[in-house]
Amino acid sequence: MAQTEHYILNMGPQHPSTHGVLRVKVELDGERIVHCTPVMGYLHRGIEKLMESRTYTQCVPFTDRLDYVSSMNNNWAFCGAVEKLAGIEVPERAEYIRVICAELNRIASHQVFIGSLLIDLGAATGMIYAFRDREKVLDLFNIICGARMTCHYIRIGGVIKDAQDEFLKETQKFVDYVPQMLQEYDNLFTGNEIFMERLKGTSIITKEDALRFNMSGPNIRASGHEYDIRKIDSYGVYDRFDFQVPTGTKGDNWDRYRIRFEEIRESARIIQQALDSIPAGPYMAKVPKVLKPAKGDVYHRVENTRGELGFYIVSDGTTKPYRVHIHRPSFINLQALDTMCKGLLLADAVAAYATVDPLMGEVDC
Amino acid sequence: MWGKGLIEGMRVTWKHFWGKKETVYYPEEKLPMTERFRGGHLVLDEKKCIGCKLCAMGCPNAAIEVTVEVDENKKRHPVKYVHDLGRCLYCDLCIEACPSKCISWDKNYEAASYFKEDMKYDAVAECRGREKQ
Repeated sequence: MAQTEHYILNMGPQHPSTHGVLRVKVELDGERIVHCTPVMGYLHRGIEKLMESRTYTQCVPFTDRLDYVSSMNNNWAFCGAVEKLAGIEVPERAEYIRVICAELNRIASHQVFIGSLLIDLGAATGMIYAFRDREKVLDLFNIICGARMTCHYIRIGGVIKDAQDEFLKETQKFVDYVPQMLQEYDNLFTGNEIFMERLKGTSIITKEDALRFNMSGPNIRASGHEYDIRKIDSYGVYDRFDFQVPTGTKGDNWDRYRIRFEEIRESARIIQQALDSIPAGPYMAKVPKVLKPAKGDVYHRVENTRGELGFYIVSDGTTKPYRVHIHRPSFINLQALDTMCKGLLLADAVAAYATVDPLMGEVDC
Repeated sequence: MWGKGLIEGMRVTWKHFWGKKETVYYPEEKLPMTERFRGGHLVLDEKKCIGCKLCAMGCPNAAIEVTVEVDENKKRHPVKYVHDLGRCLYCDLCIEACPSKCISWDKNYEAASYFKEDMKYDAVAECRGREKQ
């Protein structure tokens, strides 16, 4: 009698449809997935360890290299933790500038999500549209801090340079453009029947499973759990803004796509409110040149574009942190990949990778 | 109706087919860099530099190596200022640390090179070269 065996296929680390250097070992029964295991570590740079030998100020540029498409949020998470540890009060204007930059970064990051999802599904044209509009945000960062991706703009105690009128004016222009941009995306691919059929009802992750895996960010919200650090453990001046937390119902690929789409709209709303009420004043608190926080430990978390990003810092009272641990959302979200992909066709697994939206810089750290 | 979304999508691309181009013909055409742009070589003003090495100390990745000599008036001057672009994070911490504001970026973003050794350069030598011109 003929016997069949399961086939092991390695996707990545240099497969064009895996994000970055993600390697997934896929066990196949015909074309159906039986089991898939993400293999990590190809981009490990030891950032947590590197931080132990740098001063607190010198640690900040390394956070840019974690989730390199939303560096502003990473900077904020680390700086927020150190500010908590050292008891530094951030000026009002800096808080507003931080909100504007973090939300702009969220938009840019979700555009990378949309672009890479489309190219993974074979729609290269759609990707160009998303990246064209992401350029507009990166140009804004270039104006305010002189870098497009590794911003290193949010610092301990505030922001390094004041937001110029030119930046605020250009940001206003971009915010005005957002509804038109989203309408164009809707016309181009959201309404596309092939796109819908690829995403609807595939790789479902239930609310219970999402909670069990400790997922966060848009991935858990797509499963119907309203979990947003900006609302439940508000930081900065987020409590002053009126915004919704979009949630999904089924937790399938389509929900995960729509959530990000709606989040772009909400982010634009937050930026508009921040632009309308940004106060004048100092943009940097008085921070000692040699920063020596008191002995102790701190955990600070922010809502990164991919979920809950937290920094746990232990201080021994010297200029360098004794230990830094980073709670990375991509790393945790990726654990659900096996549950999501079981029983799927191999081509649909590519869509599942794209909608989990892992970023290997953050996964491997 | 199945296919309506596809037609709508085609309409968008058709409109852009005749619209304004979003890209530029690089390298013939280059975009201007902003005032705060961080990138390229460090432009050192040798006369202003007091040889305090704060830039090298502030660097999180040890990308800067400064050799200083003391003259007969007990003034410190840089003899060699080696900046390793391969290690540089372009974080701006060196420029912020400088008390005499003697370094700035030259805003040239084309830093790619064929060999690793070409990523290192001496900012003092570049400064003297500029003065000769």
